[in-house]
Amino acid sequence: MQMIDLRMSRRAALLGGAAAVAAPSVGRAQAEPIKIATLTPLTGAGGSYGPVMAKVAAAVVEEVNAAGGVLGRKVVLVSEDDQTNPDAGVRAARKLIDVDKVVAIVGTWASSVTTAVAPLCWESKTFLCTVSGADSITQLPHQGFLVRTQPNTVLQITRTGAFLVSLGAKKIFTLVPQTPFAQSSIEIMNGVAKKAGGAHGGLIYDDKKTTYRTEVDQALRFAPDAILCAGYTPDTLVLLKDLYRAGYKGKIIGQGYAINQKLIEQVGQNEVVEGVYTYAPSTAEGSAALERVKKMSGLANPDPYTSQVYDHVNMVLMAIATAKQASGAAIKDNIRKVTQGSGKPVDNALDGLKAIAAGEKVDYAGASGPCDFDDKGDILDCKFRYEQIKAGKPVLVKIA
Amino acid sequence: MDLVLQAVINGLVSGALLAVPAIGFTAMFAVLRFPNFSVSGVATLGAFAGYQAYAVGFEVAGSLAVAFAVAGVVGLFLDRVAHLPLVKQGALPAAIASIASGLVLENLVRLGFGNDMRGYDRPIARDLHFGDIRINPQQTETMGVALAIMLVVFAALAFTRIGKAMRASADNPELAALKGIRPERVAMMASFVGMGLVGMGGMLLGLDSSIDPLTGARILLSIFGAAVLGGLGSAPGAVLGAFLIGIAEELSVLVVGSPYRAAVGFFAILIVLTVRPRGLLGERAF
Repeated sequence: MQMIDLRMSRRAALLGGAAAVAAPSVGRAQAEPIKIATLTPLTGAGGSYGPVMAKVAAAVVEEVNAAGGVLGRKVVLVSEDDQTNPDAGVRAARKLIDVDKVVAIVGTWASSVTTAVAPLCWESKTFLCTVSGADSITQLPHQGFLVRTQPNTVLQITRTGAFLVSLGAKKIFTLVPQTPFAQSSIEIMNGVAKKAGGAHGGLIYDDKKTTYRTEVDQALRFAPDAILCAGYTPDTLVLLKDLYRAGYKGKIIGQGYAINQKLIEQVGQNEVVEGVYTYAPSTAEGSAALERVKKMSGLANPDPYTSQVYDHVNMVLMAIATAKQASGAAIKDNIRKVTQGSGKPVDNALDGLKAIAAGEKVDYAGASGPCDFDDKGDILDCKFRYEQIKAGKPVLVKIA
Repeated sequence: MDLVLQAVINGLVSGALLAVPAIGFTAMFAVLRFPNFSVSGVATLGAFAGYQAYAVGFEVAGSLAVAFAVAGVVGLFLDRVAHLPLVKQGALPAAIASIASGLVLENLVRLGFGNDMRGYDRPIARDLHFGDIRINPQQTETMGVALAIMLVVFAALAFTRIGKAMRASADNPELAALKGIRPERVAMMASFVGMGLVGMGGMLLGLDSSIDPLTGARILLSIFGAAVLGGLGSAPGAVLGAFLIGIAEELSVLVVGSPYRAAVGFFAILIVLTVRPRGLLGERAF
């Protein structure tokens, strides 16, 4: 910007200034659109989730615009790529906040990205909805400008540990890449295993290595009967291969987002992943909201993140309608008014916006679950889905 | 102790794989006099070219040849069009341009293949156990291939006319030109062979794990580290550096944990450069 200013002639500057003064009035005449943004990983480790997340968010916005928008204003959705990388995430967020002037950003995926982007959001009073799981995120001093629909590490690891214990595991080993949830994952699993009378060991690894033979050696010296692989797809793939090569025959469990169909295809050899368990926050199976997500995404089984982003956009738009004002602060003050309480149950923004316009209270429950938040911005409840890979296909064990 | 020995063996395996692109990187530096960071993109490209060849039925050796050829041609093209015109203004502009062209290549691969990871459809074998030490037959095989490639490169540098010409040019470009060695031809050869090796390295590293557009970016620092450690411009130095980096990275897992892997590599470089600023083996091309 500096460069351009320096090169401008005084006349041009004057003209520009006049235009700048005149512009807002033109905007007002046409009722400025409400701008919100998705910041999802279109590339990088989360690259297989981000595009469909952005697509579903766009579909919700399109639907709302077709029905007349929010508060009589059109909603504009800006979509940016965080590259599953905090640096790129911050650059994109800066652009969204400073240039696009969005009132809310939804869909940040990796915990590292969300941790980096969140301060920009609360400083600029932009509302942030995230699907990241690291505990530290809701502990940030976000002043209420953040909610997340993903269960935090405490909830996830506690449930996973309990599941492993229920399968008879006594010695659990946790292998986790260097992430914001690395240390807490190990500590929480340690607590769960000890409480059940078992033993626990853990190791944090670098997710950019091309082989984990030495890490696997270290894990196997502990002689575990269950291993939690808490990484992302690329590193977990290498890890599972190295565990197989090493002849490990105990139980393995990993995050559903990491041990997915793509990983199974990549391994290309069913016995390597045979019997591996996965856990994932479950979508709200059987809900009408999930059916809409299926239609919007074109997927028969949309992942939890896509469902959560669907919920993000719906919640944000209804909060704006309730506040009768499009700003981050307005969303902050009203998001819980539309998601919990004793209002009329709704599962999409179209119904919700109509009810709000008619002066009714609403209680949104969406495609990812009840969407009720505590003061910190964590969800209060959510179901988990446990699957086991058999002959190269994930088979449902239970949803609990 | 077993754990240390195992880590050393693991380090030798990853070092051998790293050595191939490191030789390519250092050979290009020796002749063209700038660090060509587009190796990240070229390694990715080589990995995908080899993957594609392997998928249509080539054996590993044939796929490696395809990876070599594709990476070599594209690398040569980039050097001609983007990097070498800038070398006249200094190594730094060319190096920066090469970072950019590496990114362009990476994203072109992304455009063609998407972000999904792909694995070479090779059967995964269980390890062989010798006492407490584990050795994987496939990784041994891959290591053997890497060693064979290195042998061929060294033989070519030692015994062929073009190999001798490259060494002469690297040693003293003016003198080599006076002797009738055409610098243009040598530079083109260095680009082609160097990038070809980088492409093969990308494929070798992908054989055991998986490949995606970031494959090359992940190993860039290790390649650079190996070349600097051994002495930029020295092919034997690159091999030595690659083995040392490979072993140091594995051993560091036992001591400080692998998140500090990159720091260990840099620390090794720092020490070596403080004591021997020209790297372990200096700048001698051979």
